[in-house]
Amino acid sequence: MKLTRSTVLNALRLITLVAACTATTSQADGYAEVSQLVQNNKFAEALAKVDSQLANKPADPQLRFLKGVIQRHLGKQNDAVATFTKLTQDFPELPEPYNNLAVLYASQGQYDKARTALEMAIRTNPSYATAHENMGDVYASLASQAYNKALQLDASNNALPPKLALIRELFKPNLANPKPVAATSAAKAAVTPAPAATVASNKPAPASTHTAPLPDPVPSVTPAKPAAAVTAPVAVAKPTSDASKEVEAAVMAWAQAWSDKNMKTYLAAYSPDFATPNDQPRSAWEKDRIDRITGKTRISVKVSELRVKVTGDEAIAKFRQSYKGDQLSVSSRKTLQLKKQGTHWLIGRESTGN
Amino acid sequence: MPRLILNLLAFGILVFSLGLGIGQAWGKSAKPEKIARHVKASKAAVKPLRHVASNRPNAGLAEARLIEIYRLIGKADTTRALHKAEQLVTEFPTFALAQLVYGDLLSARSRPLTEFGDIPAEQLKNANSALNELKDESRMRLKALRERPPTGMVPAQFVQLSRYNKHAIAVDAERSRLYLFENRGNGLSLVADYYVSVGKLGIEKMVEGDQRTPLGIYFVTSKLDAKNLKDFYGAGALPINYPNELDLKRGKTGGGIWLHGSPPGEFSRRPLASDGCVALANPDLEQIMRTVEVRSTPVLISRSLKWVPPQNMQPRFQEFKTHLDAWLRAKSGGDVNQFSQFYAPDFNNGKTLTEWLPKLRNQVAAVQGRQLAIKDLSLLHWVDTSETMVVTFGEVAAGQRSGSTLRQYWSRQHNQWKIIHEGVIG
Repeated sequence: MKLTRSTVLNALRLITLVAACTATTSQADGYAEVSQLVQNNKFAEALAKVDSQLANKPADPQLRFLKGVIQRHLGKQNDAVATFTKLTQDFPELPEPYNNLAVLYASQGQYDKARTALEMAIRTNPSYATAHENMGDVYASLASQAYNKALQLDASNNALPPKLALIRELFKPNLANPKPVAATSAAKAAVTPAPAATVASNKPAPASTHTAPLPDPVPSVTPAKPAAAVTAPVAVAKPTSDASKEVEAAVMAWAQAWSDKNMKTYLAAYSPDFATPNDQPRSAWEKDRIDRITGKTRISVKVSELRVKVTGDEAIAKFRQSYKGDQLSVSSRKTLQLKKQGTHWLIGRESTGN
Repeated sequence: MPRLILNLLAFGILVFSLGLGIGQAWGKSAKPEKIARHVKASKAAVKPLRHVASNRPNAGLAEARLIEIYRLIGKADTTRALHKAEQLVTEFPTFALAQLVYGDLLSARSRPLTEFGDIPAEQLKNANSALNELKDESRMRLKALRERPPTGMVPAQFVQLSRYNKHAIAVDAERSRLYLFENRGNGLSLVADYYVSVGKLGIEKMVEGDQRTPLGIYFVTSKLDAKNLKDFYGAGALPINYPNELDLKRGKTGGGIWLHGSPPGEFSRRPLASDGCVALANPDLEQIMRTVEVRSTPVLISRSLKWVPPQNMQPRFQEFKTHLDAWLRAKSGGDVNQFSQFYAPDFNNGKTLTEWLPKLRNQVAAVQGRQLAIKDLSLLHWVDTSETMVVTFGEVAAGQRSGSTLRQYWSRQHNQWKIIHEGVIG
């Protein structure tokens, strides 16, 4: 009972040069040289070259990635594992190092570790996860049909079609725009905490602090929300637990009103200065919401993994929102920015994604 | 959560034992990687039938394609396995076993599989027996392809076939397998073999309606065209002469035992599925219908076939032949009393021995002492609780160019071969 190495390597494809395609011009020269050597199977030479490059740029993810690939080709499995592991720690948002880690683990017969690594690779981008889950559901339905034919059961007994999750946001592909070395090496610092004062102002927060340009917006099937990027709140403010509870209650009430199609309560959960998507006029946005919500026979909105951070009168609630409508079933990350107005916590911004 | 890729690996490991099984058994006679082509190869090796084999559309190779899919799963190449399974079920949507394998390959992309035919409980409901029967079919097909008849050997029952027996059929009930032979002057060669279904309640048919398949030596009695049959019989039918003389002697009842095809909704049927007939996939039945001849094609149905080298038949053949020659000499010798010694006390061909004696007397008188010769002798040997030889030959008197074709059933009684039945068949 053992799979041959070649079989596994056949099944799991090592990503070698994906990163190469995404190299920015500033690094391209030295990088291209190394990747050329890799392509020509001159691994010993490539290793020497990559090491000398890394001496100048020790943090460079792409050079380090290439080094891992070279190490694997040189049969230095453990070194390669170490290289890719370190990469996943420094750049958890990159799927490629996880993938290659999985290939290495699988070739060593460590399937549990390979599985975890692949799951992590997919998790780097929620879109992958949704697509994979949807793919799984479609395969399951096809399997069900085949089983019915195998058992010669009446095809009308077929299970209901799967409820596939629609991706409602266009995520920024974090692969297409590798961060420059300087930024990535200081990744944590890059996401500067917004001073509380700025957030407190009534002006809508800047749309995004991400440097990556957004791709052209693609019209989505469902309530189109702009791909609003969410700034990670890093400001560490001790939330008073009372305030946190109030915010939690407000979020739950908002979700309940949505589920109940109670439009009055639902709309009242939004602050008068709520930043409507695409800067729609408030009235147009409200009408849109009413049409969409009351048009459904049945809606269920569940909130899980709710985390609240309160800073004075401001609060940020992050959670997983499981939406089920008539045709649609979506589970996604949601962030609400709330502001205390009087005794109520009202929604100032709403965004999907991490 | 995304589970897909690792599920494939798990599935590969799960069914790897299957693949190994194939490989090991094949290691004896063929290279493991040639498994799937074996059926084709064994056919191609037989020249006279090559044209027939090439006439066959992909249909007859459905089983080989299924086995190829198993092999790919065994190699954890589930991507290609899925692709090939999809092609197979597209071409043969009623091939239930292929659908099951296809379903597994699809399932493996969304969840870990724990067994072959891993149908979710809520879908399986009370179709458990249907699933188990499909697994039986899978086992049977694999077993028959894994444990091949030794090259050059033939079923021990086929002691000798005459030039008129151009083909012979042997069914191994325990393997759900039908073997088709061609008789080329120098002996029998295996040209093809097919998965078959037998009676719902198995074998050893005794009485009408017992849903069992008879065991014994039979002959194809006619060819029935599909257009004259109910859809249920598929591509056509080859009735056989159950109950034969031995069966009748033993009081067996029933009839209408055929080799036939499969109904429209079923590419193949489960190993135990018929009311006593031998059922095949339509492409396979069509192939047999095209190949074999009526009356002269023996159909041996055995619990399990014993394969022997053809040369091992000689002692049995010689031993029996001395009895047959003695019978022939007695017939031309003119002494009815001596001649009648060859007939068993329990002889019965519709008449008892006492009733048959005048006929024997007439036969002896008609020969008028001329020399008799046996032409085109075929000997089929059947052993169960007793030992029987089904003997067919042309009896030609000296100076004659032709004679009549006789069929006799000889039984070994107290170490003596005696005739228990005889009749002219042509």
